[in-house]
Amino acid sequence: MQYFKNIIFIFILLNTFQALSKNNFNIHPIEVSKNIYVFMGDNNDANPKNGGAISNTAFIIGTKSILVIDAGPSYLYGSKVIEIIKSYSSLPIRYLVVTHHHPDHSFGLSRFIENGTKIIMAKSEINRYVKYGNRLLKQLKNIIGEDWFVDTKIVAFKNKNIKFPINVNLGGREIIIELYDQGHSEGDLIVKDILSKTIFVGDLVFNERAPTIPHANINNWNKYISTIMDSNWDYLVPGHGKLIKEKEELLLTKYWINYIDKIAKKAAKNGMSPAEIFNKGIPEPLLKYKLAKETWIRDLPLLINKYEFE
Amino acid sequence: MFKIFLFIMVILYSKFAYSGPFSDFKAGAGLSEELSSSPTERRNKPNSDSIVQSRDALDSQNSEMWNDLKNKLLGKNAKVFFVEDVKIIMQDYIEEAHKVPLIVTIPKRLHNFNKLILLIENNPIQQVISLKPYRSIEAIGMNVRLEDDSPIRVAILDNDGNWNIGSKMVFVASAGGCSTPACDPAIEVCEPGIVGKIAVKEYEREAGAQRIKLKITHPMETGFVVDTEGEIIPEYFIKNIHVDDIDGPIADITTFAALSSDPVLLLDLPEKGQSVRVHVMDSHGLEFFSYKKNISM
Repeated sequence: MQYFKNIIFIFILLNTFQALSKNNFNIHPIEVSKNIYVFMGDNNDANPKNGGAISNTAFIIGTKSILVIDAGPSYLYGSKVIEIIKSYSSLPIRYLVVTHHHPDHSFGLSRFIENGTKIIMAKSEINRYVKYGNRLLKQLKNIIGEDWFVDTKIVAFKNKNIKFPINVNLGGREIIIELYDQGHSEGDLIVKDILSKTIFVGDLVFNERAPTIPHANINNWNKYISTIMDSNWDYLVPGHGKLIKEKEELLLTKYWINYIDKIAKKAAKNGMSPAEIFNKGIPEPLLKYKLAKETWIRDLPLLINKYEFE
Repeated sequence: MFKIFLFIMVILYSKFAYSGPFSDFKAGAGLSEELSSSPTERRNKPNSDSIVQSRDALDSQNSEMWNDLKNKLLGKNAKVFFVEDVKIIMQDYIEEAHKVPLIVTIPKRLHNFNKLILLIENNPIQQVISLKPYRSIEAIGMNVRLEDDSPIRVAILDNDGNWNIGSKMVFVASAGGCSTPACDPAIEVCEPGIVGKIAVKEYEREAGAQRIKLKITHPMETGFVVDTEGEIIPEYFIKNIHVDDIDGPIADITTFAALSSDPVLLLDLPEKGQSVRVHVMDSHGLEFFSYKKNISM
């Protein structure tokens, strides 16, 4: 009987810890190239299981300092990332590049400011982050739970008028940061590591999952993807999804954004309502994308609305 | 022994307590996958439990709301018939509940109807529109708000004084279409626009038939939304939309805040209107006018 009780006790103990550790990010960096690491996000929508950690965060270690790309969804996530980076290197985390203002990429940034890290972000995207941050934060808390966002704050931070592209030296490592404005967002930043020929493109490229187009200018975005395809890299780290080595994989993002744009334009031209379009279901070629249905349903009416009274 | 029982209960509880916010989702998890891939087609081919569930929910006998609504809006002695040929085309499973597009298709026998009322049973604002036509209308579309899972009903009064009711059950993923702010900064640009800007578009359909689409920029405040400072935003909505052309009125529509912000209305007419115009009045007594923007000529 005592033995049985012990088993029950241990069982409860394990269960309790599981419950307590719910809001702990279980993330591990993958080494992409020497001294370049990526935390792969859960390639899904934000949910109570993944804590909103759905996009990729990366860090590059030089001989003098460290640069981080994207802050993740929350203060907790930022803390975890900093903690892990410190276990890899004692060098200072000098720069954080926030590719754009969407919460899964930006909401951890207050933790980096506390850490004394310099934030590099497009001006238009800082404005959006400050302006809409608190509302987005509230919504996210509703969707995935307050606990994930303990200490997460939207901070108005100063950023001198940076003229992109800029060069950053981490010590033996030359980094170029370029601005691609009015594409996927109002100002996406791309980070290039010359040494390893690795390029970090934020949400200008989605791998496997359907790209989201809420703030997009499809024409520019399309051009930017071509530009990225033509540039010289061995590894590409997308904003969402697995590491890319083949240029052809970028065509997936291109294909989706052009397809949905074409359908929306045609619908708007013919005076169709999104209700009639949904009725036809999702086009066959788009079904292979992850989150196809969710993204299609969310984005198509927005696009039709945008075009129908133009 | 009792202690062990208690332990087990605690474990069971902790399992349930962590099963997530959608664990009590009324319709069951299977529904969205099952229905939303090709919604209205499936509705006519019942082949799953979810269909049965929606049918049950749609049955006016099971509805707590229907009788009151009927008495209030259609009249106590209204002759009511639930029909299959009046269809509401929209998704079964709604993710964005602030702006839900729908279209009501009216069968030929009812094209010359007398009145049309659209109702959302489980909304705090149940009536969406009440439309008085002056000509035949084949279909009418709009964007609505949904607070929660609800039967949606369209009641069409025919020339014999009978109400023909078309129904549709919809499920809402995240409730609060009427009680949370309408603009989602994650997916939209939430700048308050000019109130009362009207856009009218006309599209040709087959055989000279026409579709009129109009959009009015208006916040359509429901009076149920609390702003960031915790203050209730007072209700403010469009009360009336009057559509006409050279030959006289086309439709007179009484509207309520169950229509989305910046409402879009769609009317399918069997014959082309000439110089369609729109006249709008809101709950502050403001009036807005539009004149046809000529697009094809």
